[in-house]
Amino acid sequence: MDKRKIFISPVTRIEGHANITIELDDNGNVSDALFHVNEFRGFEKFCEGRMYTEMPTITPRICGICPTSHTLASVKACEMIQGIQPTYTANLLRRLMHIGQNLSSHALSFFHLSSPDFLLGYDSDPAKRNILGIAEKFPDIAVRGIRLRKFGQELSERITGKKIHIMGIVPGGMAYPLTEENRKALLEWIPEAIETVQLGINIIKKFHEDNPEMVASFANSPTLYLGTVGPGGEHELYDGKLRFMDGDGIILQDQLDPARYLEFIAERSVNWSYLKYPYYKPYGFDKGFYRVGPLARLNVCSRMKTPLAQKEFEVFKQMSGGRPVHGTFYYHYTRLIEALSDVEDAERILNDPQVTSLHIQHQGRWNYAEGIGSSEAPRGTLFHHYKTDQTGKLLKVNLLIATGQNNPSMNRSVLEVAKQYVKGDDIKEGMLNRVESTIRCYDPCLSCSTHALGQMPMVIEVKDKKGELIKRVERN
Amino acid sequence: MNKIPVIIDDKNFEVDPHKTILEVCREHDIEILTMCHLKGLTDIGACRLCLVEVEGINKLLSACTTKVAANMVIKTQTERIKKYQRITTELFFAERNHVCAVCVSNGKCELQNLGYKVELDRIRYPHLFPQCEVDTSHPWYVMDHNRCIMCTRCVRACNEVEGAHNWDVMNRGHQVRIISDFNTPWGESTTCTSCGKCLHACPTGAIWPKAIVQGQLEKNPGMVNELVERRKMKL
Repeated sequence: MDKRKIFISPVTRIEGHANITIELDDNGNVSDALFHVNEFRGFEKFCEGRMYTEMPTITPRICGICPTSHTLASVKACEMIQGIQPTYTANLLRRLMHIGQNLSSHALSFFHLSSPDFLLGYDSDPAKRNILGIAEKFPDIAVRGIRLRKFGQELSERITGKKIHIMGIVPGGMAYPLTEENRKALLEWIPEAIETVQLGINIIKKFHEDNPEMVASFANSPTLYLGTVGPGGEHELYDGKLRFMDGDGIILQDQLDPARYLEFIAERSVNWSYLKYPYYKPYGFDKGFYRVGPLARLNVCSRMKTPLAQKEFEVFKQMSGGRPVHGTFYYHYTRLIEALSDVEDAERILNDPQVTSLHIQHQGRWNYAEGIGSSEAPRGTLFHHYKTDQTGKLLKVNLLIATGQNNPSMNRSVLEVAKQYVKGDDIKEGMLNRVESTIRCYDPCLSCSTHALGQMPMVIEVKDKKGELIKRVERN
Repeated sequence: MNKIPVIIDDKNFEVDPHKTILEVCREHDIEILTMCHLKGLTDIGACRLCLVEVEGINKLLSACTTKVAANMVIKTQTERIKKYQRITTELFFAERNHVCAVCVSNGKCELQNLGYKVELDRIRYPHLFPQCEVDTSHPWYVMDHNRCIMCTRCVRACNEVEGAHNWDVMNRGHQVRIISDFNTPWGESTTCTSCGKCLHACPTGAIWPKAIVQGQLEKNPGMVNELVERRKMKL
């Protein structure tokens, strides 16, 4: 059969570059789609030979959007190596910083990158389908979105002095305390932040109402889900146990210690991408694809920890009668429910009398040769796994990153959307954006530039089997 | 003691004749960049940052190893000097693997400060990216050769102040390395007393304590001279 291919390049960046290839059959129907990540970064390799205590400083550099999650996963692995626990106050401060990062990342994903699609329309002028277009038409929403992100970054800055690539989280606790002045300043943000998140929820709900068919059918297929939950099954981001759920809502594994992740997660390399394909081990490579991130976390958890978020969570659960929601589009909604929970939780922590305590660090030293840490990054569950020699030198590093775990599902979602919107050589700009927005739902690090303020130099080429160009569509 | 007249940067000074140009400049708050100099240790003129121009001598002289002489006319801030300081700093960064962002010494590093002082905005020379060992064998300290600039302050502190001579230098050129004893892992050294003076003498993040992470490093290089001065008092 004469296969033809649509090649989307670049879908830039997961801290690097990505392409999409869509394969067409003789009739012009989509037969396959491949999501390639074509840059090798090598953190796992070049960290070998270094001291394990350097990892909380090195690994946040993997990403500028979720550095705190990397630091937390790393520092937990270090604490397992040392056999110590952080202080109560350190846990509060870490939670605050994690909330800050989650909030700023979710605000960026929704208000800066995705809201132009919802407020201006998928087929609107690409030159204006961006945050500047929003600022022009809906100035209040743009300013609120930017300020919500600012609040998230201030949560880190007021504790450690840095907005990103923070350096105050250390094995055993924190290097810096929170001052009373900063605590009060952060509390002042809460009412505005709650209002902004609720505004976002209203925007997405209205889009759901106006476009029920698209939302319901947009890359909607069951997968497994993985997320972190608290002891009672409640939503958790910083510290908890893992829960695997299948597409019917049956809990496959519960209260699973993250240190046992290798018993349940395996990875396989594919020849078209540098990003490995993780899968749920008991189900095998073909059936074990699972999703992580806000949709997965809200699908697996039994309840939210805060009242307003719980109310919204109940609405979300009703959408599928209590079963998991599979529509990829619902990532946006769940992201905002999480953001609401984040703000409420930040208020609770800031009102804890222990939050400004100076008892912030326990001291430890190398005791065990192996350490595993996990945390929930904005994009999903993240694992850091270190093996050391008896002097603390790293012998092996394994980093299982959220975007990687969503990789198989992203690939499948791209295929589904391509099947829905691509027909033969007839490729329209709106189609490019829809394929792109499938990836944006998962908010991988590449979403920053895939949306690229409507100016991403995206090219789709239709080629025959011999590689000869049949048609080329260029967006500029 | 009779003082001698010198002119530094067009200003007249009366100074002690046995002192080096660097000592005289520091006494009079004239800034001279240094890296291998550490008060209390023997100066060796290795880093070539403290170069000054002396009237009548064509080549640049290292201020730390050149003594003042009567009627010497010294210039410390010429374009020629600045040019060489910039080149030297760039070569420091190009020779080994200096990644400030993830270094334990970030924010408290003499090399990093030097970069700011010479307004280092790029490095014109190709990085060598040598494969360097991180010696973690000592129970308390780490020696990371990636961040070593071969100032040998650790070697001199260990030899002259502690008297242990654990540290020394091996090889030449790009292959040059600081070694412990006869190139054995630091943790297996029979001479190291674990005193920590090398750690405080080190201007970069090459030697650091295992117990700390970025943001917590506190080095006190002045302690080397304090020890030297206190010993003189006892004598």
